[in-house]
Amino acid sequence: MNTRPFLGWFVSPAGLVAVGLIAAMLAVFQYSVRAYIPGTLEVGGFTWANFEAMLRPLYALAFWNTVLLCFETALFTLLLAYPLAYALTRTNSSALRSFILIVSVTPLFLGEVVRTYSWMIVLGNNGFLNSLLLKLGLLDRPLQMMFTAGGVVAALVHVTMPIMVIMLAAALSHIDRNYEKAAESLGAGPIRIFLTITLPLSMPGIVAGFSTAFAWTFSAFATPQLIGGGRVATVSTLIYQLGFSSFNFPFAASLSIIGLALSLAVIALLKKAASPLERMAGTT
Amino acid sequence: MLMRTDPMTADMPSVASDKIRPAVQLDGVTKRFGDSVALHEAWLKIRPSEFMTLLGPSGCGKTTLLNLIAGFLEADNGEIFIEGALVTETPAHMREIGIVFQNYALFPHMSVAKNVAYGLTTRGVEKKEIARRVEEALALVKLSGFADRKPRQLSGGQQQRVALARALVIKPKVLLLDEPFSALDKNLRGSMQVELKQIQRELGVTTIFVTHDQGEALSMSDRIAVMSAGRIRQIAAPDDIYRRPADRFVASFVGDASVLNGRLVARRGDVAVVSIGDMSVNVPATPTAGVAIGDAVDVFVRPEHLAVTPRGASGSLPGTVTAQVFQGGHVDLYIDAPGSARERILLRSPGIAALSSCPVGAEIGLTIGSDDIVAFPPGEAP
Repeated sequence: MNTRPFLGWFVSPAGLVAVGLIAAMLAVFQYSVRAYIPGTLEVGGFTWANFEAMLRPLYALAFWNTVLLCFETALFTLLLAYPLAYALTRTNSSALRSFILIVSVTPLFLGEVVRTYSWMIVLGNNGFLNSLLLKLGLLDRPLQMMFTAGGVVAALVHVTMPIMVIMLAAALSHIDRNYEKAAESLGAGPIRIFLTITLPLSMPGIVAGFSTAFAWTFSAFATPQLIGGGRVATVSTLIYQLGFSSFNFPFAASLSIIGLALSLAVIALLKKAASPLERMAGTT
Repeated sequence: MLMRTDPMTADMPSVASDKIRPAVQLDGVTKRFGDSVALHEAWLKIRPSEFMTLLGPSGCGKTTLLNLIAGFLEADNGEIFIEGALVTETPAHMREIGIVFQNYALFPHMSVAKNVAYGLTTRGVEKKEIARRVEEALALVKLSGFADRKPRQLSGGQQQRVALARALVIKPKVLLLDEPFSALDKNLRGSMQVELKQIQRELGVTTIFVTHDQGEALSMSDRIAVMSAGRIRQIAAPDDIYRRPADRFVASFVGDASVLNGRLVARRGDVAVVSIGDMSVNVPATPTAGVAIGDAVDVFVRPEHLAVTPRGASGSLPGTVTAQVFQGGHVDLYIDAPGSARERILLRSPGIAALSSCPVGAEIGLTIGSDDIVAFPPGEAP
């Protein structure tokens, strides 16, 4: 007798999605090993040439830049989100808690494009930040922030914050407060308690948040495209250019495949590197 | 060390115990959470090396009191002294107090040795000295050889020993135990109690033990502070608490007691005479001070103070056996005595004779065979 009679029905939507995804991935893979025929959307015969082309410095550099950008974004997001998540889980004031939640989570409800446009207003040469700094006399000519990697990272950090705050807060709220009380009774001051108890025990959340931020940023498109303005080449903007400006679908497809493989590899590597830290936290 | 000119105790009544500087002293400590008073003007003096138990039902304020002494909470009124020093405003990490938590709170990411060493590391003790003292502490709790294990690899009893070693290794001024046995199974609990008491006596560390289990409190303590609704009801040695409870709450919370309807007949100095049916018993006069001669009182009787006699024997109360519970070494009889009590009376008969002599339905007589009877002004069940 089937003990879970509706299981098949419940799983079927997910199965449909999975079939669609796999079909799309296979299609992309199929494109990636075809020859490019300039001036047409038709593709030629089988070839590895697209993947070989990726070894050229221009593309290799784009991959490296993207990894670096993701790493910077994940790191800065972590550093900014940790205090927020800590305050969120530790404050007794419900007003402060609501405030942090609103500030850190509502950006999630605005689209990436809307948020990116607001950053353009802030970062532009005549933008909010530059006018402010000029008026205060801290600068004598506008600082170039638009179309720079720094500007892209700043905007990406903002985009990635909510998810990081949520993941860190989840990890922090699962730490038994008695650990900290025990450390306190044993003579540890606030800083020592944080460094020896809270931080190591929140390590699983840090690793999870960092990996997620990394993957999130790797696939970001609107922010690097709009703020980078074509001068900050990342894998996703490159794919867009090749696919929709040059209509070189085969090469765009091969970039996608390598991009996916790279981000999976980096996340696996992060996981591996973090496993001693997680073991230290006693979670594995 | 005696400090006879201690300003804290100089103007206190000159009882012998007050000459010794208390290890812990609470002067009118009050703690409120919002509108509710968690602890109401607690006055308490704990002697050096004493094993003091805070006993009470959940929500009575005992954990609040513990947290105030530990420094995890701040008092709204009153002062707290540890070894004569005012610590009311001292942060927890500077109070030098050892705590064993209910769930032990062993640091899961550290080995047993690192856990025990934690309090020594924070004090900047030299590495060699740390190793020596950790080993010593683990030997004390019989866990030598477990130094490299992680807490999750230990049984509940072993975790508790580590928690105890971690709290004791810093040579704390006071050891606080927050319901440490509640997570252990019954067999282990008994042996851990004996062992803990032994270690405590050996080291002579002043200990404050929080529990809601009156059995634990009676068996382990030098003195017990019985608490209810944020107030300390009585502070006394376990046998005094049991034999001479100060009020209705203490009488019914500590040990079993049945309530009989009595009448105050006379007062002779410290003793009051109370009649229950044809019987008359002597009780301490103080608790019934406000009752007029001839008025009703509630008489609290322990199950072992009652004995069965033939129905109608002079000075006995008539009753009917309604239930019989065989407990191995003794038999519990539940007796209905409508004239003498509103509820069923519990009688504890040693041995197994009562099994056959007092079957359910038997009409018997009850007598009181003890002087340890107390009476209080009538009131609702506590």
